[in-house]
Amino acid sequence: MLFIIEDTINGILMGSIYGLAALGLTLIFGVLKVINFAHGSMLMVGMYVAYWAALLTGLHPYLTLVIVVPAMFLFGYLLQDVLIKPIFKAEKDVREPITVIIVTTGLWYILDNLSLLIFGPQYRTIPDNPLRGKMLEFGDMMISVPKLWGFCAAIVTALMVYAFLQKTRMGRAVRATSLDRDAASLQGINQYKIYNVAFGIGTAVAGVAGVALVPFYNIFPSVGVLFDIKCFIIVVLGGLGSIGGALLGGMIVGVIESVGPQFMTATWTEAIVYGLFLVFLFLKPSGLFGVKYDW
Amino acid sequence: MNPSLVRKLPLVIAAAAALVLPFVVTSPTYLHILILLYLYAYLTTSWNIVGGFAGVLPLGHATFVGIGAYTSTVLSLQYGISPWIGMLVGALLSSLVGVLIGLPTFKMRGAYFALATIAFAEGIRVMVENIDYLGPFQLNGPRGLQIPPLKTGLASFMFATKEPYYYIILVMLAGVIALTYAISRSKLGYYLVAGGEEPEAAQALGINVARAKLIAMAMSSFLTAFAGTFWAQFTLYIHPKSVMSLDISFEIAFIALIGGRGSIAGPLLGALLLRPVSDFSRIYFGDKLPGLHLIIFGVVLILVMLYQPRGLQEPLTRIYNRAMDRMCGGREAAA
Repeated sequence: MLFIIEDTINGILMGSIYGLAALGLTLIFGVLKVINFAHGSMLMVGMYVAYWAALLTGLHPYLTLVIVVPAMFLFGYLLQDVLIKPIFKAEKDVREPITVIIVTTGLWYILDNLSLLIFGPQYRTIPDNPLRGKMLEFGDMMISVPKLWGFCAAIVTALMVYAFLQKTRMGRAVRATSLDRDAASLQGINQYKIYNVAFGIGTAVAGVAGVALVPFYNIFPSVGVLFDIKCFIIVVLGGLGSIGGALLGGMIVGVIESVGPQFMTATWTEAIVYGLFLVFLFLKPSGLFGVKYDW
Repeated sequence: MNPSLVRKLPLVIAAAAALVLPFVVTSPTYLHILILLYLYAYLTTSWNIVGGFAGVLPLGHATFVGIGAYTSTVLSLQYGISPWIGMLVGALLSSLVGVLIGLPTFKMRGAYFALATIAFAEGIRVMVENIDYLGPFQLNGPRGLQIPPLKTGLASFMFATKEPYYYIILVMLAGVIALTYAISRSKLGYYLVAGGEEPEAAQALGINVARAKLIAMAMSSFLTAFAGTFWAQFTLYIHPKSVMSLDISFEIAFIALIGGRGSIAGPLLGALLLRPVSDFSRIYFGDKLPGLHLIIFGVVLILVMLYQPRGLQEPLTRIYNRAMDRMCGGREAAA
């Protein structure tokens, strides 16, 4: 019985990091109403930035946040400004331009293969990493320390994003734009700037997830693909646009992945996650906490 | 000379050139590249029936390639049934799966539909990777199936040289192009386009949009499965990653989108432009610059979406028409 509790706890911890990654995606969706297919690649970029920052400056892996977050924010802000804004301007009357999906898919292929080209296919880990393989022991239970920190990062980030949306002037503008972009424009909100900011924050959150993963996860060019589809599934489970939903959806997926292998071959759990995703898509496409209007 | 005949002349010349090409191109490598080009043109044209005309974005067509490949291979390996018959059985099965996927997913809006098709395709791939025996059928999980090249010949769909494969895929491609041409001029074609562009308006006019989309999906998955059988017989080895991977689904969609979805020339043009990029960059830069062709794909895709959202076929068709007009006009003036 104990191992199931242990797996559940580790699943929740790992799942909260999935949720953290998905949080960026759901934030972007909430405002732009488009799914960023390159989100996993953003995570990958975040991991490489953290890796190189730690390697070159000798910072503690978690302290690379001071570099990763601003860099990723800027990256996302510019990407949206250069690549996605023109589409929104061209397809003004379309609420969910499908062209954006296609463009971000192109971006996914570019980023993944560019990093393959530059960094090579090898798996990288941070050398003399203080957190690698560190475990907390509770009696017979082992809890991974970096995953615990990832869990904390997920909670703190979610709270910060929530506070930003609820308490700041810019956050209010973001919420207004996500509710009704035309009405928001009429109130003098520059909707394109809001899109840039939302995309920047979403990308920065993916960067935070990258930093949380770096101490215990391998870094390689296609690492984003593993998270990409997982993030789609999580945001639909939790409800597109919902912050709490993203975290909860992540934890559900994490628990299935970590408890499942006790009962079946590990690879089958993947099929179960897809199955659960499809069930949700058909029966409750607005997810656990999604707004009905948004799907 | 009749202007409409002049207009068609270049197309006739291209078709004739395709017929005699294997006599000129004798290198197996180049023939292989040409066969893959036709195969992807075929796949994309089949995809286009639902992804182009119906205006949705299916990103899981590799499933149908896999169903076609696995059905014919299992039937021929375990029961000695000719792959030609297996091809038909696979297509029917694939069509059924296509309709079953389409029934719930066509109700979804843009992005959700794309996500659902990805989830179906990946879910089915994961299952095939985990199944060694599906009832009496041996699938061999991730190890896949090898087709022993025992007897070659038309009946066993197996040849020692590449030329027969070339002609088979050429005929398949010609057939699917003729079919999409017919669809684009049929009631179904108009229903699909109307339903894709303005579903509410189309429904108000009494068009059963959902039914039209399902028919399109059934046809598209039926035809896509043919390519799966062809692929299995051409390479004689299939495994879930080779015939069901997400990369295949995405490449099909990329080719269609860059060439121009919803048009007949688009998929052909896309395959003609992108396949050589992919093959040659793999041959010449594969070891030094891995993934180069995918970067090029991505960049071209983004540029096309930003500047020619209807695909490259649009400006090229315009240029072609203008050139033809000039030629016809010139001749008529002379006459």
